[in-house]
Amino acid sequence: MEIVVCIKPVPEAETRLRVAPGGATLDAEGVKFVLAGYDESALEQALLLKEALAGSKVHAISFGPAPRTEEVLRAAVALGADLATWVESPSGSAVDPIQVARALAGAIAAIPHDLVLCGKQAGDDEAGLVPSALGELLALPDFGSVVDLRWDPVTARFKFLRSTDAGGERWEAATPCVIGLQQAWNDPRTAKLPNILKSRKAAIAKHPAGPDLPGARSEPQGFELPAPRTGARLIEYKSPQEAAQTLVRILREEAKVFP
Amino acid sequence: MTGPILIVGEVQNGHLSGPTLEAISVARSLGGSPSSLVGFVAGHDSRSTALEFGRFGVSHVWVARDPTLDSAPIAALALYIAAAATKAGAETILVGGTTLGRDLMGRLAIRWNAAVATGVTEVRRDGAALQVRRPIFGGRATETRRLDGAHVALALRPHAFPAPLDAPVDPVIEDLPSVPLPAAWLAPRRTGTETSAEGAGPSLGDASIVVSGGRGVRTAENFQLVEELAAALGAAVGASRAVTDAGWRPSSYQVGQTGRSVSPQLYLAVGISGAIQHLVGMLSSRVIVAINSDASAPIFRVADYGIVGDLFQIVPALTAEVRRVRAL
Ligand SMILES: Cc1cc2nc3c(=O)[nH]c(=O)nc-3n(C[C@H](O)[C@H](O)[C@H](O)COP(=O)(O)OP(=O)(O)OC[C@H]3O[C@@H](n4cnc5c(N)ncnc54)[C@H](O)[C@@H]3O)c2cc1C
Ligand SMILES: Nc1ncnc2c1ncn2[C@@H]1O[C@H](COP(=O)(O)O)[C@@H](O)[C@H]1O
Repeated sequence: MEIVVCIKPVPEAETRLRVAPGGATLDAEGVKFVLAGYDESALEQALLLKEALAGSKVHAISFGPAPRTEEVLRAAVALGADLATWVESPSGSAVDPIQVARALAGAIAAIPHDLVLCGKQAGDDEAGLVPSALGELLALPDFGSVVDLRWDPVTARFKFLRSTDAGGERWEAATPCVIGLQQAWNDPRTAKLPNILKSRKAAIAKHPAGPDLPGARSEPQGFELPAPRTGARLIEYKSPQEAAQTLVRILREEAKVFP
Repeated sequence: MTGPILIVGEVQNGHLSGPTLEAISVARSLGGSPSSLVGFVAGHDSRSTALEFGRFGVSHVWVARDPTLDSAPIAALALYIAAAATKAGAETILVGGTTLGRDLMGRLAIRWNAAVATGVTEVRRDGAALQVRRPIFGGRATETRRLDGAHVALALRPHAFPAPLDAPVDPVIEDLPSVPLPAAWLAPRRTGTETSAEGAGPSLGDASIVVSGGRGVRTAENFQLVEELAAALGAAVGASRAVTDAGWRPSSYQVGQTGRSVSPQLYLAVGISGAIQHLVGMLSSRVIVAINSDASAPIFRVADYGIVGDLFQIVPALTAEVRRVRAL
């Protein structure tokens, strides 16, 4: 099975967010970029499928500028991806997730793909737009918020659960399809040192984003950090009952969060 | 962008869902006259939900009766929605803040050539464009984004907007002609549904109150303390990864970077330290309360209110107090 995994470079979780000069975006100066959280799980899922199905290949693909995009692709290779493609972002211009999807779709269309695995949403922009846009652009069915993805060799179909607001939906789908993974527990492996060293020399294919990419339809105008939280107002009490009474009174009368 | 606004109706227990009603109130705040509000609903038995649109001032409703939609992938629904938008001459599509809303947007961006945004908490007109605000980075920042062009589609964030007041009109209800669906899209099959894995209460995504427990509860059995408090509050139950990793509760409970993101009115963290990977899943909650025995736990830095104490004493007292005031 040919598995394509879309990986987005995002600032690591502990990053102290700062506003870039101009005020519209994150200041990326000095920020360390890593695989987005769900993408790490998606890559792990791809590697598990590959291990279960002899002859499979995992192809990591990422859109973005240097050097972060190349770095996350090397990290993916160190973890076990067989191939890596860097879709080069046109420098300077702001891009929106739909343009990202268009650029990725152009590259994915040119490589074999039985399964396109994405994270359900990226931890930075939290858009959750790329998987369904890829489905439309590649003319494939797509499924978002997927957990518990398995391949059933008997029926040659994927079986999975779509986590919805009402609970979940069980689905079966044949290849090829696009899946946005919301896997919370597959415990991504860590790369072994020799593999990290090898990945530094791995070949990364470059794919231009395409000069005919349509312009962005949405544009960031502001990036605001909330006023630093001043810390909790701690409730003083002599007994647990008193603590409970005070908290409930505050929540009803001041915070007005329940009647 | 002053043309008709199409509101995608999602049905829950036979009624328009809470997030759909929130989308109607956004449409009303943007749209003005009832004639500019158009509803969409799918399903072969959708007359009553179409009428419900009328109760909130939506004057025209398009119904997709195609029975294949009941079990088809969302791609098929997106085709019908784009068809309805075209029929209505809509310039804007609004969907409530659910999994469906988000999963539709990428499709509509391409198929309906729309500028799109998800997780939207504020919308206003900006000349010919729309300007939205949306939390990003797990609620650690907010972006303002301008959406340009003749078509805009937005998926809202749950609980960010009020429910609409009644404004009854007698809606025109029309069936959409059937749209040919690509065979490849219909091949995947929905083989079943599961009601909320999170137990009997409201689901994590919907709930206006979430009570989450962490490693501090110590055992799977003790986690019941958290669930009892949630039940008294009518809240959904969440957990930190320490709890789901230990197998005390299934992974569907997990809130955080690799679990669910929630933004309720009230988030109560019980025995949770407040690691950044947990915080990014709940920071955009309106009010955060922490109960933890360690006054230096990072959760107290982001909480609005805190009780430093032993959860095994505080939580039962709190459950009793909530039951008392709610006279349960
Ligand atoms: C890549 C990655 C992704 C992750 N994703 C997530 C995620 O999605 N969600 C998530 O939650 N975590 C996630 N984590 C894990 C996260 O880093 C923390 O390890 C986890 O959140 C800790 O859970 P906890 O707060 O329940 O446990 P702990 O950190 O052990 O905290 C337990 C707390 O309970 C308190 N306590 C103990 N006894 C009592 C008592 N009797 N009364 C009151 N308080 C008491 C303690 O003071 C302590 O503060 C992730 C980690 C990584 C590396
Ligand atoms: N720049 C990118 N390069 C590769 N994959 C991406 C990129 N942006 C988004 N994706 C994929 O799409 C998913 C959802 O991202 P988003 O739509 O930005 O929330 C991510 O988890 C990735 O799998």
